[in-house]
This record gives sequence, C-alpha cells and structure tokens, in this order.
Amino acid sequence: MDVVFAPPGNQWRPVSSALARMRRTLLAGSVLLLAVAAVVVVLALDMPLWVLAALLVALLAGGAAGWVVIGRNAGYWGYAERDEDLYIKHGAVYRRLVAVPYGRMQYVDVTAGPLEQAYGIATVHLHTASPHTSARIPGLPRDEAARLRDRLTSLGEAQAAGL
Amino acid sequence: MTQAPSRERDYRRLSPLTPLVRSFIFLVAVVGSSWQSALHGELGPIGWLLLALALFGLVYGGASWLRTKYWIEADELRVDTGVVGKQSRRIRIDRLQGIDIVQPFVARLFGLAELRMDVAGSGREGSLSFLKLSEAQQLKELLLARRDAVRAGTVQPEQAAATDRPEAPERLLTRVSPGLLAASIALSSETVLSLLGAALLLSVAVWADSLAAVGGLFPVLLGAGLVAFRRFSGAYGFTVTEGPAGLQVRRGLFDLDAQTIALARLQGVTITEPLLWRRLGWARLDVSLAGGGRGDDRHGPASSTVLPVGQRALAGWLAAHLLGEPLPADSALRRPPARARWLAPVGQRFMAVGADDAVIVAREGWLTRRTHLVPHARVQSLRLSQGPVQRWLRLADLHVDSPPGPVRVRGRHRDAAEARAMLERERQSARQARSQLSGS
Repeated sequence: MDVVFAPPGNQWRPVSSALARMRRTLLAGSVLLLAVAAVVVVLALDMPLWVLAALLVALLAGGAAGWVVIGRNAGYWGYAERDEDLYIKHGAVYRRLVAVPYGRMQYVDVTAGPLEQAYGIATVHLHTASPHTSARIPGLPRDEAARLRDRLTSLGEAQAAGL
Repeated sequence: MTQAPSRERDYRRLSPLTPLVRSFIFLVAVVGSSWQSALHGELGPIGWLLLALALFGLVYGGASWLRTKYWIEADELRVDTGVVGKQSRRIRIDRLQGIDIVQPFVARLFGLAELRMDVAGSGREGSLSFLKLSEAQQLKELLLARRDAVRAGTVQPEQAAATDRPEAPERLLTRVSPGLLAASIALSSETVLSLLGAALLLSVAVWADSLAAVGGLFPVLLGAGLVAFRRFSGAYGFTVTEGPAGLQVRRGLFDLDAQTIALARLQGVTITEPLLWRRLGWARLDVSLAGGGRGDDRHGPASSTVLPVGQRALAGWLAAHLLGEPLPADSALRRPPARARWLAPVGQRFMAVGADDAVIVAREGWLTRRTHLVPHARVQSLRLSQGPVQRWLRLADLHVDSPPGPVRVRGRHRDAAEARAMLERERQSARQARSQLSGS
C-alpha cells in the first residue's frame, strides 16, 4: 500500500466480503442471461454453430475478467473512523480517498436494496453541504451499518459547526 | 413604527396595483398585435383573445389580491394566499438568510417592488410581490431587525421594531461605470467567440462565392448581441455598498435588483480573469454563499457576482475585504511538478495551489484564469483522486469540497505524496478554524 492512500491511523477497515459475493452473483446472472439470449438468437436465425461457440467463449472471458475485477475492487474499499473525521478510500484503477469531518455532516443515509438485504449488507452515505462530497461505503454488514450511522449521527451533533 | 404591523392579525395587503402589473404584458400584447385595427375601433381575433386573457388575468389577479394578506405573528411572517383553495405560508424570521428587493421593469414603472426572502433549510424562497418600494424597504428593515432580535434572544420579538436598528450609513465600496462594463462585455470570451464564428461563416461565404451563407450570419450576430445586451442591462449601474446587514449589491437598467449578501454566509470567492481582460488588468469577483444563491444566470450576472468587472487590484482588495484577511501572497502558491506536463502540457504552467493561516487558494486556467479562495473554516470535505496514468507518474488530484457555487478549489496533478500531506495539513487547519469559529 503506497503512502498516498495509506490509512490515517493504524488500519483500514474492510467492507464485508458479501459485497463481492453479491456483485459476482449479479455478474453470473447477467452472463447466464446473455448466454441464453445468444443461444436463442443463433438458433432462431439459423446461424452456424461456431458463431455461438465464439459468443459463448467471449461471454465467459468477459465474465471471468469481471469476476477478478469485482474481487479486486471490493478489496480496495476501506474506511477509518478517526476522532474528528471519517476517511473512506476505494477504487483499484481510479483511486479515491475522502476525509469528511463529522462536524460537517448534514445527514446520514443507510440504504439496502432487495439484493443487498438478501446478503445482509447495506450502504452508508454521508452528506455534507457540498454535493461533491462522495462519502459512500457500500457492503457494510447490517449491524455495522447501524452502528456507524448512530456513531456518525451522535458525533455529527456533538461537533457540528455552522456553515 | 407607524408603518410596522406590530399587533397580531393586523394584516396588510400587497399593492392594489399588483394585478395590473401582472397582466400588463397582456395589455401591451393586445395593443401591439392590433393597434392598427384598434385605431378603427375594432380588434382582430388575436386581439380579442389577448384582451380576454388580460381581462381574465385582471379579474383573477384582483381576486388573488383580495385574498392575499400578510402579517407578522410572533417570530413568523405569515402569508395567506389562494383564490380557489387557501394557502398559508409561514416563514420563520430567525431562519431568514437574506432579503432582496427586486424591481422588474413594469413594476418599476408603477413604483412597485418584489421582496424575495431566502429561508435557511427550506431550500426555497418566499416572495411578496408587489409592494410599494418604500413599503418593501421598511418591511425588509423590520424583518432584519426582528431576525437579529430573535437570534440574540435578548428582546421579545414583539418589541423589536425597525427603529431599534441603528441606521448605520452605507459605505460605498465600488461602482462600475457603464463604459467599463460595455468594454468588458465586448472583450469577453463569448463576444470574441461569436465574432470568430461570424468571421468563419463570412470567409466560407466568400470562398464558396454564395450569399446564402451570409444569411446565417444574422442569427449568430443577433443572438450574440442579445446576450451581450442582457449582460449589460443586468449589470448596469452595478453598485456595491456595505451596510449593517452586510454587502448591498444593486444593479439593473430595466429590472432593478438589490441584493444583500450576509458575510456570515460567505463560503469562498473566485477571481476570474479572461484572456483579453488580463492584458488590461481587469478581473471579475464572484462569491459562493451558503443556502444557495439565486442561480438566475439568464438575467445578467448571477446573483453571486460582487464585481462584474474592475481592476485586478480592486477585485483583490474586495476579496480580501470579504474574507476579512489579506490575500495570500503569490509566493504561497506552488505549481505542480514538471512531470505533470505529460497530462496537462499547457495547463501545468497555470496551475498553482497554496494555503496560508486563513485560506486555501487554487489557481488554474490557460484562457480564463480563475483564482479560488476558501477560508479554512468553510471547508466541507477533502478528497484525493488518482487515475492510472497519474499513479504511474506519481501524481494525484486534491479537491476541496464547497457548497454549490462558482468556488472550486482543487490542485490537479500534484505530487502524490505532497497531495496527501496537503490534505492532512488542510484537515488540521480546517479543524482549528472551525473550533475558533464556534468558540468565538
């Protein structure tokens, strides 16, 4: 880990491995759907079978690449709660780091879509008065998301600074 | 005090001329569309339709006027409206961020004005249109006095009146002369670009030896002329004064606009120097305000403009005056490393970032140079970003997040380790500035 995106204190806290599992499930599902579509189209249009084979190989290769990228990306999510700031970093290729002072927080969102719920994870989103603040942590276990929300809210109130 | 509605339910109405002003545009259209036939005592079908619309507007406006009442109750300004249904708006006086007096052209003919109120937390404005100008000014003073009293908590809001407010004289900070304004618009990038476009069209026409392409010139030039004229009329007579409520910005040729900028809402300032202005030493000053400025950029300058054009030194002095601190010296600004030229071959020369005890400052732009300044106490969050090429070159971007507005401090293509160090340093400075702010 280079110094630029080094943790502010001791360690980055990782997000749940369920995030990668959920995204891989989504990926597998869409690859499967596309494969079925490819089979149907090739058979319906009476195209030669090597076209089907080529399509399926391309799909599999794309799926495999996505599988690896998802795993790598999930590993790059991390957050650290400091005394006065929340640090978040993410991105394997395009790397991002954000430091949000608790006192600047306007409100905290916790969202969990149906698929996220099935995997028991949630996304915590921190909002400041600036729309550019992109402080979002996906793939937090539900309890951890609730704990983080409560902690952020109480710290935000305690340290709140006027605009 | 006699004008002030001090007892509950002692409501007041808008000016009875309001419906007339609102449907004035239709009356003008009636006359405009069929003045010829009107001379013969008859109206064309369009004239009749417009007349009917105007009459309907008058009747509806009259009913609306009858049903619209406003009064001050405890710490709220209440406005009842609605012809069919009934709407009741309550505007909390202690939440008022700023009150502006706006005079559209027609209203100005009748000596009327609109009172616009920025309310914190609601994200939208309250508005009273139209009032007599003197009434609007009195109401504004009264509301501001009450707001201060409610916020201070020392006086019962009922007792605060406009007269409690010491009438401090307004100090003139600057006034933009029409000649300078016209010259600055003539030398703006928009004008230059449209003239270049026109020249291109003309040369195409000459080269192709066809007059058809010349016809395309007129819409281009007309559009550019209209835009330039709107900018001119919007910023005509631009005057900045300083009063007890903050900065007063007055402007307008046809539509008069008076805006109060409370310095407590200031989030940062931007000094803009387009290419052609730099030779003449001109600059423009914009500010970013909490609670969102009125982004009506279509009518002349955005409301967050504090100086549409002026000498660079004047813009700098005004910026320092608004920030309450002298601007950091140019020596505090540092350019990104030379290897950043791989990513910004030209821009690298014009990028610089720096900080002093009070503000963080960033400058960039080759054609239009912009200098952004944000006080440490107003920094929202800090970000680093790094793309694959930047990582290979050991570079990173530093972003300082501000509320929506023209101000955007960022250091692009900095040395990566330096960017992280700057982020940590700025985080410390912002923390200290915030604690001083809430401590005082």
